[in-house]
Amino acid sequence: MAQIDFGGRTKIRSGNVPGKSRHFAAALRQWWPYYLLLMPGLVFFIIFHYVPIYGARMAFEQVRIIPPNIWVGLKQFQTLFASPVFYQVLTNTLIISGMKILFVFPVPIIVALLLNEIRSGPLRQWIQSAIYLPHFLSWVVIAGVFIALLSPTDGAVNQITGAFGFRPVSFMTDTGSIRWVLVISEIWRSAGWDSLLYLAAIFAIDTSLYDAAEMDGAGRWQKIRDITIPGIVPTIATLFILNMGLFLSADLNQVINMQNDVNRSTIDIIDTYVYRIGLKTGEYSLATAAGLFKAVVGMAMIMVAHFVSKRLTGKGVW
Amino acid sequence: MLKKLLLASTALVFGAALAFPAFAQAVPIRIVSKDLLTTNPDDVAHVERIEAALRAKGTDLDIQIVDLPSSGYADALGVMLLSGDIPDLIYFQGGDQKMAEQGILEDLNPWIEKSPNLKAALWPHNVERLAHYPYLLYVYPPRAPQAVIRTDWLEKTGLAAPTTVDEYVKLFEAIRDMDLDGNGHADTLGVTGYLNTNELDSIFNQAFGVTGSWMKNEAGEWVSARTTPQEKAKLEFYAKLGAEGLFDKEFVTNTFDVKEDKFYSGRAGVIFASSPEVIDIYGGKMRQAHPGEELSLTLLPIPSGPGGQGLAAVDVSKESRGYAMASTSEHKDEVMKLLDFMASPEGQELDRLGFADREYTKSGDTYTFTDAISTWYARFFAAANWTAPAGLRSAAADESLANVSKWFKPDNAFVWPADYAADLDATENVYRSWVARFISGEATIDQFDQYVAEWNAAGGQRLTDYARTVLQ
Repeated sequence: MAQIDFGGRTKIRSGNVPGKSRHFAAALRQWWPYYLLLMPGLVFFIIFHYVPIYGARMAFEQVRIIPPNIWVGLKQFQTLFASPVFYQVLTNTLIISGMKILFVFPVPIIVALLLNEIRSGPLRQWIQSAIYLPHFLSWVVIAGVFIALLSPTDGAVNQITGAFGFRPVSFMTDTGSIRWVLVISEIWRSAGWDSLLYLAAIFAIDTSLYDAAEMDGAGRWQKIRDITIPGIVPTIATLFILNMGLFLSADLNQVINMQNDVNRSTIDIIDTYVYRIGLKTGEYSLATAAGLFKAVVGMAMIMVAHFVSKRLTGKGVW
Repeated sequence: MLKKLLLASTALVFGAALAFPAFAQAVPIRIVSKDLLTTNPDDVAHVERIEAALRAKGTDLDIQIVDLPSSGYADALGVMLLSGDIPDLIYFQGGDQKMAEQGILEDLNPWIEKSPNLKAALWPHNVERLAHYPYLLYVYPPRAPQAVIRTDWLEKTGLAAPTTVDEYVKLFEAIRDMDLDGNGHADTLGVTGYLNTNELDSIFNQAFGVTGSWMKNEAGEWVSARTTPQEKAKLEFYAKLGAEGLFDKEFVTNTFDVKEDKFYSGRAGVIFASSPEVIDIYGGKMRQAHPGEELSLTLLPIPSGPGGQGLAAVDVSKESRGYAMASTSEHKDEVMKLLDFMASPEGQELDRLGFADREYTKSGDTYTFTDAISTWYARFFAAANWTAPAGLRSAAADESLANVSKWFKPDNAFVWPADYAADLDATENVYRSWVARFISGEATIDQFDQYVAEWNAAGGQRLTDYARTVLQ
């Protein structure tokens, strides 16, 4: 334990955790390099995440380019909820987001567990680099790749299935397949990158636990089940809860690039609808109302997930 | 001595004061336009020579380009305007209606009346559109896609250029069956497209009797053309083309680039070009794809069919894109001088022909165009009254322009109030989805009534009710 003098008062602290009663100004003097490092992140959040909250008032106004805006109360929300299409896109959003939570969310965890089991360092690094790569591709490129791969005439997938006697399927226009195309392309793009966090959590697990388990004769599967997975449960819980907050954001960029005239009714989500109706036609208030609706639902989802997680695992986001 | 110095100083001050107007600052005009960027040296040089030409006529402008990304231009423009940054001259590619409703766009008609060059440069559809919606100006011929084919392929089929719907089918069949690309398979598509059937509609709408956006039914009531027996017959024809491998069933997932690539690589025999300039771009790219071959393109005639003949009716309710002048601009006179100059013969020569000794060389009155002309495009207008020098366009491109004038027919579409935005979006989706399903074979044309019922339920009935209050 270290003893530090703060303005004549001697405080005892443990490790680098500041005492609760310490005056903020004194802490700032003591830890200013760290606060300085924190500053860009804080400024970023204030400018891009907190200041725009003030703009949410647009949802209750008729926006005018030449001020002042006209207060219209809940009119934009009434317009939004009165459209039968809105319920269709809401349903699509819930289905696609639900599928992603069910099928996409676990994949990075599995990938991290598998990567952790690779003993050869160079091989693991090579695989990691290979599976991170798609994360850096834009959805425009990925959509192009999937459209080419899934083409019913000369796409690789249909040529392979054709070799086994299956008839070609136009996956990109087949309403039964297109949501799975979204799920699979999302996995392909993000599973490697998202596994980073879990891998970091796995590396943070005390290795003595594994040594002890080995001495007790535990096999690989037993170590994964009883040490690794419990060790990353807090990370899983936190990311799950944060993902729930984005439940109504089923990825505008992905969907808009995969959308076409045939599958639009199946994968039209709130974001694409707002983009078409709100932004393309200049209905910014309507777009803001839809965004606010999404944010409120997202916040509610986070709260629910937090309390459920707290109850089940004892871990939440706060 | 002191007296002389004082006199000289006084004379200098007066002289400077008199000379001051000659050194007055140029009037700043801010322009935001897609594909007009300070990062493009061509754009900057083009603007500088426009300023010089105007200065020679006594109008001293400082044309300032406002950079916006070409990708997502319409969205970026909307956000910029919403932030209160409103340039003097604004090129819209959608989203203008909301701005007009808010009064930030100037009514151009009184200004055009005072601009002789601009007034004379308008195309007939421009005049009609300005009468309905006076905020946007897009002095170009109507975008009417027309079909082109490699001339050597047409000759190899042994067929004459098709003049009827049936002859088009015969040509598509020949392209499919004759292995013109020489890959050993009879797999070439007769015709390809991208995203939707708008291009096909351009030449087949009138052939099947789809004469406008709104038509009268047997009871004499206005109905959407998309719900009529004529539309059904046209879609049945498209479905037949799809089923027989004559039309690209993958059109909905084709991008513009993919469509072009299928044409250049010989996977499709016919594609559509939306303007004369595009025909020449296709021709240039086709020659690049097949170096050493003397290739040219042939424009296919507008076919006649059971319902008639012609290009699809042109929507004259408003321009879908074009230049608008901000009502907040403090330099409206200067903006109009710029636009009027760009519509004049001198402005057109600058804007349409590119730079001397690069895009063309001139000897006397004769222009010789270089390969660089294929990548040059007008930044402002393509005036209706400007005669292009010989050699600027290919024969196919000239022919397509003649067709646009010959077959021009105004549509009866009109501008919808904002309240109908959701209905328009929903019915458009229903229509597009069913068309693609008819062509892909996922739905049969017997289900046309089911489609119409769905279209009506999605807001079509509300649209029809409103249309009947507008149309006489």
